[in-house]
Amino acid sequence: QAFPLPSLPRKQPTVLVVCGPAQNGAIGLVCARHLRSFDYEPTIFYPKRSPDPLYRDFTTQCEKMDIPFLSYLPTEVQLINDAYNAVVDAVLGAEAEVAEGTEPCAAILATLKHIRIPIVSLDVPSGWAAEAGGSGDISPDVLVSLAAPKECARRFLGRQHFVAGRFLPYDVQRKFELNPPEYPGTECVVAL
Amino acid sequence: QEEAQAIDQELFTEYKFSVDQLMELAGLSCATAIAKAYPPSSFTTSQPAVLVVCGPGNNGGDGLVCARHLKMFGYQPTVYYPKRPSKPLFEGLTTQCKKMDIPFLPEFPAEAAFIDELYGLVVDAIFGFSFKGAVREPFGSILSTLERVTVPIASIDIPSGWDVEKGKADGLQPDMLISLTAPKKAAMHFTGRYHFLGGRFVPPVLQEKYALNLPVYPGTDCVLQLT
Repeated sequence: QAFPLPSLPRKQPTVLVVCGPAQNGAIGLVCARHLRSFDYEPTIFYPKRSPDPLYRDFTTQCEKMDIPFLSYLPTEVQLINDAYNAVVDAVLGAEAEVAEGTEPCAAILATLKHIRIPIVSLDVPSGWAAEAGGSGDISPDVLVSLAAPKECARRFLGRQHFVAGRFLPYDVQRKFELNPPEYPGTECVVAL
Repeated sequence: QEEAQAIDQELFTEYKFSVDQLMELAGLSCATAIAKAYPPSSFTTSQPAVLVVCGPGNNGGDGLVCARHLKMFGYQPTVYYPKRPSKPLFEGLTTQCKKMDIPFLPEFPAEAAFIDELYGLVVDAIFGFSFKGAVREPFGSILSTLERVTVPIASIDIPSGWDVEKGKADGLQPDMLISLTAPKKAAMHFTGRYHFLGGRFVPPVLQEKYALNLPVYPGTDCVLQLT
């Protein structure tokens, strides 16, 4: 919705999906697969693969759909800016504390801080969750909060904020006083 | 029928999709298609009440997922699920529905007229594309009752009781059919108002391999209206 196919600046609808080692990365893998069926051309960078069988199957599904997996992330940012229309940041989620400072996440985030094409962060901008606020953080253009916005989403200053993951039962919403926005019709995302 | 089973097998063994994944996407498609054809505002009952009849296999599982999403879309689903496989997948889906306050009927309404009174729509999630042979009870009597119901029936993948390839002229005549993955041969005998395609998960390579010639889904929609 944020980057419809006709709006993309590059000739090919390429998207780089950067996946971290845990659940946020796995969500990125599923996202890449659906992007492919929406006729985008995703490429995945997934340096530290989870041993979880479910996540390993997500990887197989992507491979069998001819989604390429990069063997390394260029440190030369211009290469990324030139090759892709957008980057999906599925590196770290809300649970990340220790992982943020360790490789390869630290190096990935260091590179992503300098790219100029739009970044779409899944659930939380990677690296934001652990800090109270930092000048060295990545600045996503789009944030997709999963189930409900997280605390650090308050600091989000990008162009579009979506809530996605329309699966919270009503009593869970009430119990945690989530007051989620109303999803239109049968949509599974809503723009805030 | 064999081709549909072969595609399924390939999705599970080669592509490593789990039954859970595909069932979730299938059930979501069904709920989405239903919401497009029968929006809550179109119901003449005071609440958009839907009866979801779930069979003993995967089609029933699709029905449970569909019921849960219908609830999220603002409908009031009620489930009848007489034969429940004791597998974690189905037990999980049942729990998810119950925890979302979706009632499970202890018995099937005795008369078609009761169904017409209480519900604006029936979802037929009894038998799917693996169905072969004779209909075992209690589904025989359930289908006889459903054949006399006047509110619309939406069948998941195959109208229950139909031969998967040849149909059944004197069987259930649903108003809506949601074909999953690709329409089955029986769909040629479908005479209802709405035919939707759902289950947008078949990788392009597989579509080519089986010459499915699927039409293009609009945008990011998970359903496509065929008629």
